[in-house]
Amino acid sequence: MNLTKLFLIIKREYLTRLKSKTFIISTILAPIFILAMFLVPILMTNFGGSSNEQVIIVDHAGGVANHLVKLNPNRYINEKYASVDTLRSEVIHGQISGFIVITPKVVNGSEKPELVYSGNGGITFTQSVRSDLQTAIRDALLSKTNVNPDVKSIMERSIHLQTKKLTKSGEEKQNTDMLFVVGYFMAIGIYMAMFIYGSLIMRGVIEEKTSRIIEIMASSAKPFELLLGKVLGVGALGATQFLIWVVSISGITTFGAPFIVHALGGKSTSAVQSANSANMALQMPHIGAGLWIFFILFFVLGYLMYSALFAAVGSAADSETDVQQLTFPITIPIILPIMFLTSVTANPGSTFAVVTSMIPLFSPILMIARMAVSSVPLWQSLGSVVLMILTFLGLMWLSSRVYRVGILMYGKKPSFKEIAKWIRYN
Amino acid sequence: MEIIDLKNVTKFYGNFKAVDSVSFSVEPGRIFGILGPNGAGKTSTIRMINYITVPDQGSITIEGKPVGRESQEHIGYLPEERGLYKKMKVGEQLLYLVQLKGLSKADAKRSIKYWLGRFEASDWINKHVHELSKGMQQKIQFIVTIAHDPDIYIFDEPFSGLDPINSELLKKVIIELRDKGKTIIFATHRMEQVEQMCDDIALFNRGKAILQGKLSDVKRSFGRNTVILEFDGDASFIDELENVRVNNRSTNFAEIRLLNGTSEQTILEKAVNNVKIRKFEFVQPSLNEIFISTVGEDNIKNNQLG
Repeated sequence: MNLTKLFLIIKREYLTRLKSKTFIISTILAPIFILAMFLVPILMTNFGGSSNEQVIIVDHAGGVANHLVKLNPNRYINEKYASVDTLRSEVIHGQISGFIVITPKVVNGSEKPELVYSGNGGITFTQSVRSDLQTAIRDALLSKTNVNPDVKSIMERSIHLQTKKLTKSGEEKQNTDMLFVVGYFMAIGIYMAMFIYGSLIMRGVIEEKTSRIIEIMASSAKPFELLLGKVLGVGALGATQFLIWVVSISGITTFGAPFIVHALGGKSTSAVQSANSANMALQMPHIGAGLWIFFILFFVLGYLMYSALFAAVGSAADSETDVQQLTFPITIPIILPIMFLTSVTANPGSTFAVVTSMIPLFSPILMIARMAVSSVPLWQSLGSVVLMILTFLGLMWLSSRVYRVGILMYGKKPSFKEIAKWIRYN
Repeated sequence: MEIIDLKNVTKFYGNFKAVDSVSFSVEPGRIFGILGPNGAGKTSTIRMINYITVPDQGSITIEGKPVGRESQEHIGYLPEERGLYKKMKVGEQLLYLVQLKGLSKADAKRSIKYWLGRFEASDWINKHVHELSKGMQQKIQFIVTIAHDPDIYIFDEPFSGLDPINSELLKKVIIELRDKGKTIIFATHRMEQVEQMCDDIALFNRGKAILQGKLSDVKRSFGRNTVILEFDGDASFIDELENVRVNNRSTNFAEIRLLNGTSEQTILEKAVNNVKIRKFEFVQPSLNEIFISTVGEDNIKNNQLG
């Protein structure tokens, strides 16, 4: 191994990509895209959402309207004597969002209540009206019939589940739902990194082959140096990109979120509420240093393993069109763990979760997700790291054998059988 | 003392024997031609000399040492399949490729500057390769081959795809390098392009070196057996000649190889009776003729064996 040459190769792979338009554009657009993913729902609930929906309740049965107004005074207005025709025209002209006529038959269940509305507000609006109505009718019935106050209070009690995660270091008062979000984010982040940077390597190899520069390169450096230089150069590029994103996203959440809350604040109480909850969503829950270290470790090892595979595929392909068929076998082990992700995070201690997360090609996605949502025994987390390192070394050896033959094969697409033969060539 | 020496070199690709026990040596300061039809094993042999691939059997030495990482840096290689990084600037690209051949950054820069000037290409240094015309790209490719000032140059089908101006430029540079004492290997199937340039040849067919030696010796061994005829008139008499093979024929020109002891006088008589002769010459065969007959005989022999 000639380190001077290796360094030259890494530098070229890194710098030419760093200066490319694709890199600059994707680096800028990705945080904007992520920000948009948070902002759009907030803006939706604010401007198009339920907070401004006004529903007139015409209560012929009595009792139900009061309960509804109690549930959400901003939405429901009790107008006992409004005529249906007037209300219809008000809905058409957009003065009110909708109305419901409540008859005694609705209350005793022999008739279905009807919400007449403009069609705006979407599913969240109709869903919340449905659940409000259910609560209100139930409460109205409870107060009419002479039931035991104990039963009444049982019925009225709504349950808010609070969650605590218990670890060796003590009880953590934390929202475990957020841990799922963290686990998913980490797993999907690694998944995307393996795909994006892996195919970047693959395209780099194909470009060298189709432009025929590879013959010059092969007479100047060892194939292994070329391969390793590419893997490390693109890896450094990926690290740079993620660093830029982490810095810019944490900057946005620290300085941007209060600004958003401020900008939206004061319009209506529910707008502030939703903005506040959005603010909470933007604030990452506390993530231990250990998890971060493992995330970086899994990120790097996942990238390394798949980059070796993608490089081998690139060297075997003769043109971009061959790629689809040849990448198929290596995309399977990336996609499978994404399919298992839900069941593994739901049941992180199950045999299925333990076994699949220990499979080296699955570990980067599944083990980190398990670690985020639960405490994984050290032998499993460290064991999977060791297995991944061994797998990487094996794959790198295999890949370099395919690569050194593949880069010099022009003009035909090899079969998998032929590629297997290349491994045994001198 | 030979500078490159191949001994019983054999290379398999799977079960296919691409190079079959080839031995030859190249003397320093000379131009050596590896000739042969497509698929004869020329490029496979060159790749092994370049240490891009390694032989399955036999040995290759350069200046007495087995080929390896070090010998790579003493070779300038112009592959048959040429290419550059399209999205890199000319200057950056040259610097990268020349440094990979072991030159320091300062030396590389100096040499690149000199050659860009020589080829009137200094203005292109900040252009991307994909902005250059094909002819311009070829010039950059030459510079990649020679800028690290190696002792040995290997050109695989150097003139294929070159425009006449670049062809002349390359010939000039090659002669200049030879005069400086550098060693040059050509691989080609276009005989007429190397005939005036090669000192020694090895003729490849089906993975074997079937004929080799000094070009002048090889030609002499075939003897004077070719008639060059230029004439005015009806050329149909040529079709009636027996025991000859006609190469390079056009309306008033023919290169006629005499077979089975046919005398040149027979041809002359026939020609005098039929056309007005402008030129009649009795010469050694052209390299092309040697190539065709040797490869042809070799193939016939192989087919009979097979």
